[in-house]
Amino acid sequence: VQQTITGTVTDDLGAPLPGANVLVKGTTNGTQTDFDGNYTITADANAVLVFSYIGFARQEVPVNGRSRIDVQMAEDASQLSEVVVTGYAAQTRGDITGSVASVDIAEATKVPLVNAAEALEGRVTGVTVTNAGTPGASPKIVIRGFGTSNNTNPLYIIDGVQTDNPNILNSINPGDIEQMNVLKDGAAAIYGARASNGVVIITTKSGKYNQAEPTVTFNAYTGVSRATNLPDLLNVQQHGEMIFQSLSNDGAPVTHPQYGSGASPVVPSTVQGYTRVDSYDPITRAPRTATVNQPNGTDWFNEITQNAPTQNFDLSISNGNETGRYFLSANYLNREGILNDTGFKQGITRLNSEFKIGERITIGEHLNASFSRQQEGTLEAINMAYRFTPLVPVFDDEGDFAGSGGPGLSNTRNPVALLSRGSDNYNKIFRVFGDIYLQAELYEGLSFKTTLSGNIENFAQRRFQALDPEFIEPLSTNTLFEQDINNYSWTWNNIVSYNGVFGDHSINALAGVEAVEENSKGKGLSRNGYLFETPDFYLLSNGSGTPNVDFAFDGGNTLFSIFGTANYSFKGKYFATVTLRNDKSSRFLGDNQSQTFPSFSAGWLVSDEDFFPQDGFINRLRVKASYGELGNQTLPASNPTINISNLNETLANYSFDGSSISTGAILSQVGNPNLRWETSVTTNFGVEMVMWDNALTFSFEVFDIDTQDLITRDFSLISTTAIDATAPLVNLGDIQNTGFDLSIGYNHETDYGLNYAINANISHYKNEVKNLISDFQVGRTDLRGGAVTRTEVGRAISEYYGRRVTGFDSNGRFTYEDVNGDGTINDEDRTYIGSPHPDFTYGVNLSMGYKGFDMSAFFSGSKGNDAYNYQKIFTDFPTFFDGNRSTRVLDSWTPSNTNATLPALSQTIQNAETQPNSYFVEDASFLRLKNLQVGYTFDENIAGTLGLDMLRLYVQGTNLFTITDYEGLNPEVISTDNLSLGVDGPNPVFPLAQILTIGINTKF
Amino acid sequence: IGALSDQTLQNEQGVNLLLTGAYSVLDGIRNNQPGADWTVSGDNWWFDVLTDDAHKGSTDGDQADLYLLEIYDWTSGNPYLAVWDGRFAGVNRSNAVISLINKIPEGDFTAQLAEARFLRAHFNFELQKMFGNVPFISVENYDATEFNQPNSGPIWDQIEADFQFAIDNLPTSQADVGRPTSWAAKAYLGKAHMFQSEYAAAAALFTDVINNGPYSLLPEFVDNFRLAGDNSSESIFAIQFTTDGGQSLNGNRGGTLNFPNPGPFGSCCGFYQPTIDLSNAFKTDGTGLPLLDTFNDSDIANDYGVESADPFVPEAGPLDPRIDYTVGRRGIDYNGYGTHIGKDWIRASFADISGPYLPKKNVYYAGEGANIGTGGWGQQHSGINYHIIRYADVLLMAAEAAVETNDLATALGYVNQVRNRAKNSSYVQNESGTGDAANYQIEPYASFPDQDFARKAVRFERRLELAMEGHRFFDLTRWGVAESVLNEYTQNEARAIPNFGTKVGTFMSNMNILPIPINAIDLSGGVLTQNPGY
Repeated sequence: VQQTITGTVTDDLGAPLPGANVLVKGTTNGTQTDFDGNYTITADANAVLVFSYIGFARQEVPVNGRSRIDVQMAEDASQLSEVVVTGYAAQTRGDITGSVASVDIAEATKVPLVNAAEALEGRVTGVTVTNAGTPGASPKIVIRGFGTSNNTNPLYIIDGVQTDNPNILNSINPGDIEQMNVLKDGAAAIYGARASNGVVIITTKSGKYNQAEPTVTFNAYTGVSRATNLPDLLNVQQHGEMIFQSLSNDGAPVTHPQYGSGASPVVPSTVQGYTRVDSYDPITRAPRTATVNQPNGTDWFNEITQNAPTQNFDLSISNGNETGRYFLSANYLNREGILNDTGFKQGITRLNSEFKIGERITIGEHLNASFSRQQEGTLEAINMAYRFTPLVPVFDDEGDFAGSGGPGLSNTRNPVALLSRGSDNYNKIFRVFGDIYLQAELYEGLSFKTTLSGNIENFAQRRFQALDPEFIEPLSTNTLFEQDINNYSWTWNNIVSYNGVFGDHSINALAGVEAVEENSKGKGLSRNGYLFETPDFYLLSNGSGTPNVDFAFDGGNTLFSIFGTANYSFKGKYFATVTLRNDKSSRFLGDNQSQTFPSFSAGWLVSDEDFFPQDGFINRLRVKASYGELGNQTLPASNPTINISNLNETLANYSFDGSSISTGAILSQVGNPNLRWETSVTTNFGVEMVMWDNALTFSFEVFDIDTQDLITRDFSLISTTAIDATAPLVNLGDIQNTGFDLSIGYNHETDYGLNYAINANISHYKNEVKNLISDFQVGRTDLRGGAVTRTEVGRAISEYYGRRVTGFDSNGRFTYEDVNGDGTINDEDRTYIGSPHPDFTYGVNLSMGYKGFDMSAFFSGSKGNDAYNYQKIFTDFPTFFDGNRSTRVLDSWTPSNTNATLPALSQTIQNAETQPNSYFVEDASFLRLKNLQVGYTFDENIAGTLGLDMLRLYVQGTNLFTITDYEGLNPEVISTDNLSLGVDGPNPVFPLAQILTIGINTKF
Repeated sequence: IGALSDQTLQNEQGVNLLLTGAYSVLDGIRNNQPGADWTVSGDNWWFDVLTDDAHKGSTDGDQADLYLLEIYDWTSGNPYLAVWDGRFAGVNRSNAVISLINKIPEGDFTAQLAEARFLRAHFNFELQKMFGNVPFISVENYDATEFNQPNSGPIWDQIEADFQFAIDNLPTSQADVGRPTSWAAKAYLGKAHMFQSEYAAAAALFTDVINNGPYSLLPEFVDNFRLAGDNSSESIFAIQFTTDGGQSLNGNRGGTLNFPNPGPFGSCCGFYQPTIDLSNAFKTDGTGLPLLDTFNDSDIANDYGVESADPFVPEAGPLDPRIDYTVGRRGIDYNGYGTHIGKDWIRASFADISGPYLPKKNVYYAGEGANIGTGGWGQQHSGINYHIIRYADVLLMAAEAAVETNDLATALGYVNQVRNRAKNSSYVQNESGTGDAANYQIEPYASFPDQDFARKAVRFERRLELAMEGHRFFDLTRWGVAESVLNEYTQNEARAIPNFGTKVGTFMSNMNILPIPINAIDLSGGVLTQNPGY
C-alpha cells in the first residue's frame, strides 16, 4: 500500500536540517528536505526509509504504516564520516578518492605556534615544514618532493580567501582553525593553475545554530624560550694558541698585536691599542680601555641570546539561534626572540557569522584583522658572533659598546651592539582579509553560492643604522631606511552545485567561474645625517642628507578560471570524481595564456562487498586511485614574457662632464615570450585499512608526480658573459618525484580506563631530473668558491658537487680525489659528493589519557639527507684570520696528529680548501622531540564550582632535544632556491628555540 | 608600471638612455653583481697588487681573497675574478645600444653607434688583457640571446674593428667632455696594437695623436689626480667620477677601500699600499736619472717596523719628485692633510705584509670638496676621474713603439717630455713650507746609447709616471717579463718586509692571464674552457 509520509529532519541540537537525503530503501525513490527540514515522500507502508546527511550517521527507519516520521540525526563521531572541506565543496572522508590529508588540529595546536602552517610539520605525510627561526618569519613548506624550482609554497585557501603567501598564515590565530586539509594529488586540480605545490585548505570555526547558550573559551599560556645547540667556539686562550700555531706552521714570525711575541700567547688584561671614535667630521679616534673577560674571554653567542618570555591569550565566543550564528575571537601573542632585542607581537580578531534570510538564502562572512610588529634583528649579529674575537668585551671600561677598534681584532662588528641598535627597528603588518558569501537554494539539491573575498595588507618597515664608534671601519653617518608596501587582492567566484541521490546512485557536482586579481605597490626611502639617535627623531624629514628613493614598484596579475567537478558514488561502494578547470593567466602570452587541467579519481570500498569476510580482522578496506594535471603559475615576476628596461639611479646614470648627472637606463629583465605553464602530472594510488575492531588504521599511498616545463630562471642563458639583466624565466625541463606516504595509527582503551594512541607516518620521495634544456644547471653562484650544487639529467635536483677530500698529505693539507686521473687536481676533479634529499622523513605522535590526565609526545625526523655546512668556511678555516673559530680546529693536523679533522692551521686558506668539497657535506639526519605535553582536566564538579564548564592545566615543552650528527646550528636547513637545496649559508640560520610553557584551557 | 618596454625605447631618447647606461658600467658596478664593488672596480686598482707597485694593504686577513691573489695563490673560485662579469656587463650594455640602433628604421644614430662601439672595444680590451682567452659576444649573439660562446683565443681583430669604426665616426671634439673623440679612439687603437707588439701601426697612430691631436701635458704632474686634472688637456679618456652629494652613486665606488685607516680624516679601509720596491724605483743618481739596474740593491729609508712614537728620518738621498705624489711616506705631507705620521696611519700591523706606505693618487686632496664623496661607511666615494688613457701614457707608448722600431731619437724626445714635465712641476714642500720635502733631483736623459738601454729607460719611465694607476700588471705581461720581474721583486721586498718573504709564493708563467672564473665556466654549461695551468 503506497502512502504519503511527511516529517522533519533535525540535527543533534534539534535544528532543522535542510538538504538531507530521504530514500526508500532498495528503490530509486528519494527526495530531499526543504529549507525547514521538512520532506514528503510516497512509500509502501512496509518500506524502510533511509535518512542521510553529510556529517551525520545514516539512519534507517521502518515506516510501519506511519504517515509522519520525524528524525533527529546524530553527528557521526567516526573519522570516516567527518566532513572534509576540499575546496569549493565538502565531502565525507570515507568518500574521498583523492589524496587528502587532514591535520589533527587539536593535537597540532598544542605546540605554541606563531604561523599556522607550522601545524603541518611532521603531522601530514609527505609534507615537510622548515622553520626560519626568526619570530614572525614564514616557514617553508614542501609537499611531496621538489617538483618546481621556484616557489614551492602551496596554495592556501582560508575559508574563501586564496593566497600562496605563507606569511598570511601568521595572521591567523591557530585557535580559530576548525579544519586544516591538504590536497596532495589530482584532488587539487579544482585549483588548476595554482595547485601543483598542493593546496592547504583551512576552515575556521563557526557558531552553531540553535545553541542553548553562548560557548566561551579562554586559553592562555606563558613560558620562556631559549636558544639550543649553540656552537662551541674557542675561548680566548685557545684563540691565542690557534693564532700562534698558525703563524708557526707558516714559518712566519710568531707575534700578534694582542697576544705578544713570546713562546706562547699571553692573554692581555685589556685590549691592546683599543681606540674609539671620539669625534666625527673628520673622524678621529681616541684610546679607550676595554678589559678582557678572564679567564675565557667573551662568549659572544651567550651574549647575543636571551631567555625570552612568551605569552599567548586567546578568547572566543560562539553562539547561534534559528536564523543566525557567529564566532568571535581575539588573540594576543607576544613571542620574544632568543636573540637579544628580537620578537614578534601580534593581535588578531576574527568574526565569522552567518544569517538565514527567508527560506532559501544564507548570507555569511569571515573577517580576520591582525596587526603585528616584528623586531627581526639581524643575521649579521650571528655572523659576527661566530667571528668576533673573544678578546673584546661587550662594553669598554666606560660602559660604551666595545668593538674591533684595535690591531689584531679583525673587522668585526660587536653583535650585541648590532642587535641593541636595531631594537627600535620594526616590520609592521596590518592585514585584513575575509570573505562575504551568499548561498541560495534554487531547487531541490540545487544551490548557488557567490563569494567575494579580499586581502588587504600594509607593510611598514623602519630601519635605523646608527653610528658605530667602536668599529674599526666606522660609519661616517647614520641612515634611516623606510619601506611601505601595500598589497591587495580579491577573488570572486560563483558556483552552482547539485546534490542528488537516485537509488543507489549519488551525485554531487558543481560548476563555477572565478576571477582573481593581485596587486602590489611599494617604495623604499632612505636618508642620512641624523643629529640624534633616538626613535622619536626617526623621521625622513629629520635627516640632513639628500633623500634617496631606494626602490619603487607597482604591478599586478590576474587569473580567470572556469571549473567543474562531479563526484559520483554507487551503493556507497564505488566512487568516482572528475574535475576540469581552465585557467587564463595574465602572466603568459598568446596561446600560452590559458590551459585546462583535468583530473580523475576513483575508489572502491572492498570491505563492503559481499565476498569480503565481515568478521575478519579487517573492518574496512578501500582502494583508490587518481590522476590529475596541475599547474604552477606563481612566478617571481609579473610580466615574465617581455624585456623590461628601467631608469636606474644606482646602476645606469653617468656624469658626462664630471659634475652633473645624466639619467640612463639598463635592461633589467630579459623576457621569455614563449614561457608556458609549469604542469605537474600526478598519479596516486592508495589503500586504506581499518583493522582489529577499529583499533588499527593503516593508510598507504604511492605517488608519481611528473613536473613538466618546470619554470626557473635560466642563469645559463644569461650567464656571466651576458647582459647584466635578471635571467628570464624559462621552462627548464622535466622532473619526476616518485614515492610513498604511509601512516599507521593504533588506539586502545584498557579496561581500567587508560587510553592511548600511537600514530606514525613516514614518507619517501625519489627525485629525478628527466630532461633539461642544458647539460646541467648550477645552483647559486654567490658563494665563496662558486656553486656547491648541480642539477643534471638522471640525478636528483640540486646535488652537491665539488672535490672529494681523501685525507691529508705530509704537510697536513687536504688531498683530493683525482677524479679524471690526469695526475693534477683542478676544477675538472669535481664530482657529486652528496644529496640534500632524505631517504625518508617521519613523525611519531604518542598520546595517552587516564582519568583527568593526558599526555602527548610528538617526534619528527629525517633520515639520509646531507647538508652543506657552509658556515664552516668561517668557523673552521682562516677566512678571517683574527676572528674566532670552532673548537673543531683543536683537532687540526700536526705531524703528531695526522688522523685529524682539519688541515694544519695556517694564516691563509691554502690548497683551495674552502672551495666546494666534501668536508662541508654532512649527514643532516635528525630525530627531534618537537613537543611533549602533560595536562590535567579537572573534574566537572570542581570546574563547576569555579563557574566553568571545563578547566585544563598543562605544561608543555617544544624542541626538547634533537639527535643529529650535523654540526651546524640546525639540521633543518631552509633553502629559498630549489637549485641550491640544503646549503647552510651564506646567511647563517637562527639557533633553534626551545620553548617551555604552562597553559590553561577553559570553557564556560 | 614604470618599466620601459623594448618598443618604448626605439627612439633617440631610448638610445641615449641605454647609451648612458653603458657608460655607467665603466666603473665596473653592474646589476646582479657577483662580487663586491672593489672587486670589479673600473680603475683596476687591485691589478697593481699583483705587481711590484702595491701591496693589498690593511691586515692580511682583511679581504683574504685579495691576499691570496697577492701571494700568487690563484684559484678559479676567487671572488675578485668577478671583474670578468663586470666587464661583460659593459660589453653587452654596449651591444644593447647597437642592437637598439639597428632596430630603429629612421634617424641618424651614427654618433651614438660609434660611442657604443668605442665602449664595447674598451670593455673587450679590458677582458682581453686580463683573461687572454675570452669569447667575443657580438650583437648577433646579443639579439639571439646566445651568450655562451667559446673562448677560443684573442679577440684583437674585433676590438680593432670597433676602435676603427669609432675613429671613422666619432667627432674630433665632444661637448660632453666625458664622451670619447676620434682622437681618443686613435690613442686607444694604438694601445691595442701595442698589446700585440704591432709597433709600426701603433707608432703611426700615436704620432698622429701627438702631432695633430688636442692634447698636452699638464704643467703640474699632480694635477692629473686632483680636480684640475679632470677632463684636462692631458685626459684622453677617463671614467668620470663625481660626488653629487648624498650617497655619491657616481663616485668611485670600486676604490672605496683605498683610503687611510686609521688616518687623518677618519676614512676606510687602509688598502692599496705602495711597495718599498716602488719607492726604491724613484731613487735617482747624482745626475737626476733613475737607477735602472741598481735601484733595488738597497732600500730607501723607510719606517717599516718603526712606531709613530719612535724617531724616523726619511730618505736623504736624491729622489724623483713624483715619488711624493705617488707614495705616501712618513714625514712628508699627505695630500694636504698634514705630515704622514707613519705607523699610526697604517692599518697593517708589522706582522702583515703590506709595509709602511699610503696611496696618494687615488686619494682626494684636503679641501677639494668636489672630489670628496660621502659613501655609506666613510668619505670614500672619490670624485677623482680615473684616466683610462692620459697623454703621458700615449707619449710613453709612442716612445716604446719608437724604441721597438729603433727610432731612439724620437723615443728620447717623448720620454724627456714626460721627465721635464715632472722636473718643472712644483715639488712637495716640507712642513714649514720653506723648501722641498725631500732631496728631489730629476733630469731628462741626455741620450739613449742603444736600443736595450732605451727600452729599459722607457719601461722604467712608464713605471715612474704611471705607478698606482692600474697599468703595471698589463705592462709587465705584455712585455713578457712578469715572471722574472715579479719573482725578483718578491725577493727584494722581503728584505724590508720579512713577513712578505715568508708568505708570498711564486709567480708562475701561466699567470700572465687570470683564471677564467669557475662560475663562468659552470654557467656556460662548459662552453668556456679554463686557461692553461689553472
